[in-house]
Amino acid sequence: MNIKLVGGAALGLATMLVLSSCGSGDSGTATGDQAADGGQVTLKMVAADYGDGPGKPNSGETFWRGVVDEFQAANPGIKVDVQVINWNDIDKQVATMVQNGQVPDILQTGDYSGFVQDGLLHKVDEVLSPNVSGDLLQKFADFGKVDGTAYGIPFVSSARAMFYNKELFSKAGIAEPPKTWDELKAAAEKLKAAGVSQPFGLPLGQEEAQGESFLWMLGNGGGYKDASGKWAINSPQNVETFTYVKGLVDAGLTTPNPGTKDRKTVWEDFGAGKVGMVNGGPMSIPIFDAAGLKDYGVTAIPGKAGPLDTTLGVMDWIMAFNKNGHPAEIKKFLDFFYTGSAAQKISDTYKLLPVTNGGIEKLSGDEKLKPFLDALPNASFYPFQDPKWAVVNPQIKQTIGGAVKDDPAKVLGELQKTAESS
Amino acid sequence: MRRLRPLEPLVWVGPAIVLIAVVVLWPVVEMIRSSFLKISRFGVVQGSNGLANYEKLFGEKDFADIMVRSVIWVVAVVVLTVLISLALAQLFNQSFPGRKFARWALIAPWAASVLMTAIIFKWMLDPEVGVINQIRLKLGLIDALGGASADQLGDASTAMPWLVFVAVFVSVPFTTYALLAGLATIPADVYEAAKMDGASRIRTYWSITLPLLRPALTVAALINVMNVFNSFPIIWAMTHGQPGYSTATSTIFMFILKSSDIGESAAMSVVNFGMVIILTVIFLKVSRWNKEVA
Repeated sequence: MNIKLVGGAALGLATMLVLSSCGSGDSGTATGDQAADGGQVTLKMVAADYGDGPGKPNSGETFWRGVVDEFQAANPGIKVDVQVINWNDIDKQVATMVQNGQVPDILQTGDYSGFVQDGLLHKVDEVLSPNVSGDLLQKFADFGKVDGTAYGIPFVSSARAMFYNKELFSKAGIAEPPKTWDELKAAAEKLKAAGVSQPFGLPLGQEEAQGESFLWMLGNGGGYKDASGKWAINSPQNVETFTYVKGLVDAGLTTPNPGTKDRKTVWEDFGAGKVGMVNGGPMSIPIFDAAGLKDYGVTAIPGKAGPLDTTLGVMDWIMAFNKNGHPAEIKKFLDFFYTGSAAQKISDTYKLLPVTNGGIEKLSGDEKLKPFLDALPNASFYPFQDPKWAVVNPQIKQTIGGAVKDDPAKVLGELQKTAESS
Repeated sequence: MRRLRPLEPLVWVGPAIVLIAVVVLWPVVEMIRSSFLKISRFGVVQGSNGLANYEKLFGEKDFADIMVRSVIWVVAVVVLTVLISLALAQLFNQSFPGRKFARWALIAPWAASVLMTAIIFKWMLDPEVGVINQIRLKLGLIDALGGASADQLGDASTAMPWLVFVAVFVSVPFTTYALLAGLATIPADVYEAAKMDGASRIRTYWSITLPLLRPALTVAALINVMNVFNSFPIIWAMTHGQPGYSTATSTIFMFILKSSDIGESAAMSVVNFGMVIILTVIFLKVSRWNKEVA
């Protein structure tokens, strides 16, 4: 018995020794590399996927691999690991990473302000050279500031307009795209009568309810905040807006049960010729093209009394976390990103708009992008500089669809309550 | 050496105790502690929050609905699962040609990832192109694709039955196999004796099979209760708890809260934890698990 025990223990001990020697062997080589290169640093980066997902030619993985390979060739001492996450999951996964202390060095996503409050971010001037930050569009760069200090670096931007299917329009006998809400409703009724299952594509589900809602609010002079900067989600204008939209939904003129539908699905349905009108941006063009839809037009989004003179401008952000302490390496990577060909490649691949003066000049010749580039200077933005936005936004994504199903005033009132609570 | 002898059991039990303490007890303590803290969205502790997290949680307008729905969800899924599994186990306990194949086939929904199964059902229910809707259209159950009538996951009243269906679909294999194992332990001579006494088939099932199956049945049902109560991927993949929170159970709600208020989410976890314990106790009381079979 005892001998067996000792034997077992010896075996266990031996296994441990072997394992640990493997481990030390590995770390030994790593130290060797470090000595040779003068410090190999691995930057961990998390980025959102602008493409059609893993495996597709335009996937975020493919894009970032190209950027990183080029960067690593020029900077042998720095390795960049990029993890690409789709838009539906990125907020939650990043939050989990931060909660667990596994903070990335660089994050590219839709919002930065939530991290500022907890002091998690590098200031922009710590991780970006002055000549690069100087080329960023001033208006955009200003949105990256909280209390006068810049934390967020604009990554790409986009604007919104309404797409309509010309073939379905002529089939339904509609001469020109609607400019007002009344015309929109009339057009939707004609489309419905012509057998179109979703006259107006209305995604108010998890993916981007906050964007679609904002576009409708703007059509009636509303928004998430009022002119004085106070939260006004349940303002009379917004309640009126959602009452109107609810009317469309109840009449079967939109995507059914909008509160459960994601933007991507609705865009794909538009591409498949099942949707008459839909709000979209430059980034929806590749989706429509991939689905084989050719005959579509782009026009300003209809408002209550006339087409919108503003639109939703969306900016996505890059930010650097200070926890791992690699500001010098991050600076190298970000400078490389903004001065090299990468920004141009994003516009080419995803039809997203650039955020630098240089980039916008280069694109001004592109016919398809022109309506969106023109709209940018007068765009309205989410109130993302308000730290509360990070709390309100997920709530909007979850519940605002209810405003076109149940009582608009009640649903918007709940959201207002969330925004006002401390 | 001999004086250390009484401590020997500790050496054997020790690792298990340490494991339970670290993996089970410590997280529970940590969870309860977090529920009284004010924690930022990214996990930075900002001090004590007293009972505020619980007040906020109980003040949520959807809270009561979500708790009631969670209980209905558990009861519906477990009852259906057990009933179907009882029948299937009985069937698979008979010998018939192809039984081996049928038994293997039953494993498929169990072996497949639950998330995958849920996503596939979501696609099959797609209002424009889903195969289930194509079939319903052909059968004349709906007039057209793409409309509200084809969008079963879009409304809670039609989405919940589908969620329950998928949950039952993935729970049945395990439950059936557990019951099948139970059936195999019932000695054949008991049935023989019943036959001699002229008991009817129904009587035999009711007075012999079911009572002798009780240990297996209790374990299978109990595991299901806990599993289903904590079940996350099916609902998340198919509806995200939407529209609003109308298909969310407490587990889904806890996950959604986590992205805005970790303290409140922890409070929800504590409530959830309490619910599982209460459900389990009620279940064990009802099933009289520790009473010997007469």
